[in-house]
Parts: sequence; structure tokens; C-alpha cells
Amino acid sequence: MEYLVNRRDIDFILKEQIHYEKLFELPEFKEFTTEMFDMVLDQSFKFAQQEIAPLNASGDKEGCLFDGKTVKAPKGYKEAYQHFAENGFIGMDVPATYGGQGLPLTVAMPASEFFSGASVSFMMYPGLTRGAAHLIETCGSEALKNIYVQKMYSGVWAGTMCLTEPQAGSAVGDLKTTAVPQPDGSYKIKGGKMFISSGDHDLTENIIHLVLARIQGDPENSTKGISLFVVPKLKVKKDGSVGESNDVKTVNIEHKMGIKGQATCTLSFGDNDQCVGHLVGEPRSGMKQMFQMMNEARLLCGMQGLSISGTAFEHALQYAKERVQGQGKTIVAFPDVRRMLMLQKAYVEGIRSLLYHTGYYIDMGKGHPNPETKAYYQGFADLLTPMCKAYGSDMGFKVTELAMQTYGGYGYISEYPIEQYMRDVKISSIYEGTNGIQALDLLGRKLPQNGGQVVQQFYAMLDEFVTKNQNEPALKVELGEFKKALDLIAQVAMSFMEMTGKGDFNYPMLSATPFLNMFSNVVVAYYLLDQAVIAHVKLAKLLEEKVDDPSQHKGFIKGNDEAAYLDGKIKTARFFVHQVLPTVRATVKSINSGDRSALEIIL
Amino acid sequence: MKIAVLVKQVPDTETKIRIKGDSSGIETDGIKFVVNPYDEYAIEEAIKTKEKNGGGEVIVVSMGPARTVESIRTALAMGADRGIHIDDAGLQADSHVTAKILAAALQKEGGVEVIFCGKQAIDGDCSQVVQGVAELLGISQVMIAVKFDLREDKKGALIQRRIGGGSQEVYDVSFPVIVGAEKGLNTPRFASLPGIMKAKTKPLAVLKAAELLGESKPRVSFVNYRLPPERKAGKILQGQEPAQMAAELVKLLREEAKVI
Ligand SMILES: Cc1cc2nc3c(=O)[nH]c(=O)nc-3n(C[C@H](O)[C@H](O)[C@H](O)COP(=O)(O)OP(=O)(O)OC[C@H]3O[C@@H](n4cnc5c(N)ncnc54)[C@H](O)[C@@H]3O)c2cc1C
Repeated sequence: MEYLVNRRDIDFILKEQIHYEKLFELPEFKEFTTEMFDMVLDQSFKFAQQEIAPLNASGDKEGCLFDGKTVKAPKGYKEAYQHFAENGFIGMDVPATYGGQGLPLTVAMPASEFFSGASVSFMMYPGLTRGAAHLIETCGSEALKNIYVQKMYSGVWAGTMCLTEPQAGSAVGDLKTTAVPQPDGSYKIKGGKMFISSGDHDLTENIIHLVLARIQGDPENSTKGISLFVVPKLKVKKDGSVGESNDVKTVNIEHKMGIKGQATCTLSFGDNDQCVGHLVGEPRSGMKQMFQMMNEARLLCGMQGLSISGTAFEHALQYAKERVQGQGKTIVAFPDVRRMLMLQKAYVEGIRSLLYHTGYYIDMGKGHPNPETKAYYQGFADLLTPMCKAYGSDMGFKVTELAMQTYGGYGYISEYPIEQYMRDVKISSIYEGTNGIQALDLLGRKLPQNGGQVVQQFYAMLDEFVTKNQNEPALKVELGEFKKALDLIAQVAMSFMEMTGKGDFNYPMLSATPFLNMFSNVVVAYYLLDQAVIAHVKLAKLLEEKVDDPSQHKGFIKGNDEAAYLDGKIKTARFFVHQVLPTVRATVKSINSGDRSALEIIL
Repeated sequence: MKIAVLVKQVPDTETKIRIKGDSSGIETDGIKFVVNPYDEYAIEEAIKTKEKNGGGEVIVVSMGPARTVESIRTALAMGADRGIHIDDAGLQADSHVTAKILAAALQKEGGVEVIFCGKQAIDGDCSQVVQGVAELLGISQVMIAVKFDLREDKKGALIQRRIGGGSQEVYDVSFPVIVGAEKGLNTPRFASLPGIMKAKTKPLAVLKAAELLGESKPRVSFVNYRLPPERKAGKILQGQEPAQMAAELVKLLREEAKVI
């Protein structure tokens, strides 16, 4: 299955919208050059196309094999995993201390888009390893770091995150796995975890599970009593070599709708009371620590939505230009097909810009020397993360559906890539905190963050953008519409605060998902309009340089890829503002209705 | 062992080529440039040969405008040791002039035992530079090489080259030699991320093409550039009796295609 992506669009965001060279101002990135960034992107893309993409369809057909004891990943995964590690991709965006490459997330985001787009099932193996290793690196003791981290970044050992139990899904606080302190400072772990991604496989010598459990005697039924443990599948000796089994048993693997190359496992820890775990950080701070990994993983869930829908759209576009129906016309000529393609394009390009910017905000929030600037950007990253996750995955799914519709019957058939994309991308809205939980996070935690200051600062940035550009005639109408939608967000947010002030929590919770969607629509409109403003200036300059006679502009744009791309940016923003953004008004109307039927009905 | 790789930066194979308004060349803005794909095999073989030899130095030599440095850095990131960029600003180069300049650079470097290069560059597709350099340096050449085995004495190699009809020739060549790499010679490695970080600090010298060229003049002058004519749509014969269609086909082959 060929991996397709619009490299021009990625370059546009990085170089013309974000201006990734601004990262050189941060002390940790000052040694890099744009030439190095470009080389990293070229190599990541090539790797995705040549080594990962060929495993996507075969991994889906073959699936993972469980023989009652251990799990085998599909053919070719092991070699690709090792190559992936050798090329330094696992710890791409972590410090060099334990073998990371120290690149900014801003550059790791597009690489991640290539890898996940080429095969999300595959990418989850190194992705979880990176997250687990980085968690040990950030929160673990020196001893834990020295034993585990480098081996994980270098591909010798893999990693997982183990939260979910049968009775503890969204409610992680209900988990029952226990940890009993031992005289030597370690813990005996006992309990069952399910749905563990990359939970068992044959890609690496050992698998390092990061397990949430409750130390005996700590508060029950609350996330406050949870601690985090490193639990290797095979015991690790003092010299770092691998020893006997650590009493971690694979009980089962799931058969599922998509990501079939991914081993989703039920794991049993300590059936024979021999499972040793090592505490990470302080006791009872497990949830807080795990949130580091979860926030990163949430961004990557949004990335799964983007990367898969990005390639699905490129396939659909290519197909629409080739498929002939009726009077020798290719279907791309039909208005309804154009509408579907435009929706796909607008979502993909808008979400791409949202995600890459969030990566950039995270880099600035981590590394900016000025504490105020640092807090400013970190706030944006926090605010946008639930939108990246939920909107990115939901719209990602929607785009694959539109791509299938564009193909007609062939999209439904397994010989074509779309049906697998659609199955693979669905999971992203469910794991890492369902999208419903994301909406509550936005409403309950992110809006009130710093007394509402973060969302106010974000509002101010968007408002300033309008003020700065509103006299641009080419986009005047669209900026006006955008400003109206932006102000509606502020109004609704205020009304939620009033309601919760009066003790009504249920109604805001009922409106949380619609609110997340309307907020995300406004945010995506902002990034698309920002692109349109930039493209408008560039296109005008290009036309001035290359075409003398204004009546020739249309013809020139048609025959010149760059001009067509820039013109497309303006049209995509306009399309989104007129075809999607009006839904914000409808959502506000529905929220303002105060209709509580869903809460009151007997179901 | 001193090993040189001759590398050219070319437009990405997926680029849609556009001709400049005055037909004097191709439009280069907006084009993505990459290492000539055949040269990637050359780079890989050079690094492998150094590894097999248990030491040595791989020098990347590339002629072109300032952006050529990106391609040299890519080769350095793959594992080459240092680079020589020959700046050709203001020079109209044909294959002859290019070979002259590269040969002069290699002579200036001195002591190079093996030179790897792609069998041709996919932009001009001339496939003349390798042979030119061999002639100018007076050394052996093996073109369209698909296998390179370092001899045990490390002073030569057994080199297989593809000839027509699926046959191969094997040469036992003593160094110095210049090798034109064909697809299949190896699987080029990626430039790893650690490699990319290291490449930044590897030495990169700049030479002036005009100085290396001396008095030589190009032998080919470029009059203008044109895109190849678009392929016309094919014709499908249908709806008649097979015998009739066969007769029609013969007629077309005779009168229209003029092949029989
Ligand atoms: C393929 C796959 C891979 C996975 N990988 C991992 C992994 O690596 N590690 C891991 O620990 N887990 C993993 N999971 C588990 C996943 O994170 C959970 O399935 C998810 O968190 C939801 O939990 P649940 O399935 O129990 O659903 P439930 O929590 O039962 O939710 C069911 C529905 O109720 C809603 N809901 C629940 N609580 C609330 C609430 N308070 N407010 C509003 N709505 C609510 C949810 O949004 C959802 O719509 C994986 C799951 C799958 C399917």
C-alpha cells in the first residue's frame, strides 16, 4: 500500500507558518540548522515509505499470533523495528543523555505523521517504547534510568503503559492491582491488566511495562492512591543482562476491528507472587506522572487521526482524478465529489497545522528561557491537547469515511487501501481517555486553568490576528465570520462558568463534546485563515513577478504547481469558513436552548 | 585507503519539470533536489568498502551551485568522512567540462584508489562523465557495476557488470579504478539521525570550478530546452468482426505508424 502525503503542505506549515528556525533561539536547539531539520524530514519520509508502508496491509491481513504463551508480531515488524531504532527514530525528540537525538517536537511531529501514516499498527510499538522510556527518564531514580532508558531508545527493549483493568477503564482510580513493599525496597506486583498495546511481542529482548498499581493500604477508589512501577517482562540482573521470567503472563490477545498488526494484550502480573516492580518517583504520585506519558500520547492519538486521514485523502484525490464516469469525465469534475474532497482537504490541512503548532508550543513551553513566555506557550499546549486528541481523531475518522465515499464501491473493497485506514483510525477516539473524557478535560480543567487566564490569552492571540488582517479585502468577509464565531466561544465559556457557579454541573457536561467540537472548529479556522493570509501575499508576489497581464492570472495558476498550491490555501480557508464554521452558530443555539431532555429521559 | 564518491544533486524524480519562459533551461524554483539515485549506491558501496577494508577515508566530491552542499551533507550523514564542494557558479558545463573539473579535483586530492559514482545522473541522463574521468586520469573503469568484492590483497577488486541479455561480466581490476554503480549494487542505508548530527561537524572544502577547469571549453552548446511532445492517446479497435479488425490494424501499422 503506497503511503501518500502532501510534503509541500508540511513544508509550508514548518517554514512559512511556524518558521521553525525560531526554535534556534532556545538554548537546547541552538546547535541545529534548518538544513539538518530538512535532512531529518527527508530521511524519516523515506524510511516511512520504504520500510514501514510495505508492512501495513500485510500486517493487517496476518495479524498477531498468540500460541498460548507468547505473541508474534506480523512478518517484517521485527526487522523494521530494529532498523527504526538503529536510525535513531525512537528517541528522536528526547535529550541526548540516554541516547535520544534531542530534536524539537516541532520536527518530530511531521516525522511521526509519516511513520503513523505509513502504518499505525507498527508505529505504536516504538511509540509506546519512547513514551515509557521518557517517563522513566523524567521521573525515575538514577538507578532506574541507568538500567532501562538507553536500552529502550536503542531498540533492545520495548515499553508499554498499563492502566486499564476490566473494572477500571475511564475510571482509572478504580484499579485493583496491588503493590506490596519488600525489604529490599522493591515491590511485589499482583493484578490483571487488559487492552495493553504492544503488551507482548517478539520484536525485542525484553518488554518494560509501566504499571499503575496501589501500594497496600493507600486510599481506594481514587486516583490519589495510585503509584507507578517499572515492571519488566523478564527480570533484569544487576549488570543489566536479562534473566528469568518476572512472573508476567500473557493471557490473551484481542481480535479487533483495526490495528491488527498491534498486539493488544491481557496481562497477568504476579500469578505466582514472583512479580517484582520498582517504584517510579514518590508513592501515590503515579497518576500525575503517568499524565506526562498520557499527554504526549494524546497528542499522538490526534496525530494518528491526521496521519491516516492525510494519506486517505491523498489516495481519494488521486483516485478521483483517474476514475471516469459518464461522458468521459473524471469524477473530480462533479460538484458533490469536489465538496467531499474539499472537506477532506480542509480538515486534514487544518488539523495538521493545529497539531504542528501544538508541538511548537510544547517546545517553547519546555525550553524558552523567559519564564513568562514559557508559561504562555505551555498554557496553549495544555489547552489544545484535548482538542488535538478528540477533534483530530474524530475528524480523522470522518475524513476516511469521506475518502471511502469518494471512491464509491471500490473504497469498500479490501484491494483498495481506504477500508483499512477507516478501521485503523477508529481506535484513536477511544483509547488514551475517550473523546468524551477529553471534552470534560477541556471544560473542567483547561478552561479554568490559571483562573481562565490561558484561554483568555489564546483568545487574545486570535483576536489580534483578526485586527491585524481585517483590512485585507481578499479575506475580509471570512475574517468577519471568524471573529463572530470566536466571540461565541467566549460567550458559551462564560455561560458554563455561571452554570457551574450555580451548582449545575450536568448541563455543561452534556454540552462538553459539542463545545469541544465548536471550539476546535474555530481553532482550525484560525490556522487555515492564517495560512490563507500568508498564501495570499506570496501568490500576489508570484503573479507580479511572473505574469504581466492580469487576465492571464487564472491560466498561470492552473499551470504552475506553486501558484495552484497557494491559491488552494486561500480557497480552502474560505471553504471552511463558509461550509463548516457556521455550525458553531447552530451549536451555540442548541447549547443556549437549555434543553435537558437527554438528562431527564428514562433510558 | 582513500575512496572518493562523485555525487550529483538532481531534481527529485517526482518533480514536474517546467521550462523557463526563454527556453534557456529548466525552472529551478520550487524544485526539490536530491542525491542522484544511482549515486546513493555509490555512496553505500564506498562506505561498505571502507568498512571491509577495516579503515580508510571516504571523500564526497560534488560539483554544483551552493545548494549542492545539502547533498554532500546527506552523504556525510550516511557515513562519508569529508566533502569537497566544487562551486560551478557562472559556468556552463557539458559532460566534457564536468569530467575535466572532477578529474582535476581528484588529481589535486591525490592518492585516491577507488572512485565510486552513479552510472549516470537522472537529470541529463548522459552517462558520459564516468568514462570521461577515467580517460582523463588514465585509470581503469567498470560501468554498470552490480557487484563489488574487495580483493583479499585489498589492492583491487572483482567487479561484476551487467551487460545486455541478462549476462554479466566479471573483471579482476587492480586499483586505481572508477566504478559506475547500477541499481542493485547494494541497498543504500538511510542517513541516520546520529549520522545527521555528526555530519554537521565533518570537514567540507570548497573549490572553484573555473580554477580547476583551466583553459578547456565546453564542446556542447545548449541552444534551447523543450519538453518532449505529449504522448498521443492510443487507438482501440472494436466492434467489428475479428478479421476486419485485423485487416484494419495491418493498414494502420502500414500507413499511420509506418512500421511495416
Ligand atoms: C485497541 C486498544 C488498545 C488499548 N491500549 C491500552 C494501553 O496500551 N494501555 C491501557 O492502559 N489501556 C489501553 N486501552 C484501554 C483504553 O484506554 C480504554 O478502553 C478506554 O480508556 C476506555 O475505557 P473502557 O473501555 O473501559 O470504557 P468505559 O470507561 O466503560 O467507557 C464507556 C463509555 O462511557 C463513557 N464514559 C465513561 N466514564 C465517563 C465519565 N466519567 N464521563 C463521561 N463519559 C464517560 C466513555 O466516554 C465511553 O463512551 C486500549 C483499548 C483498546 C481497545
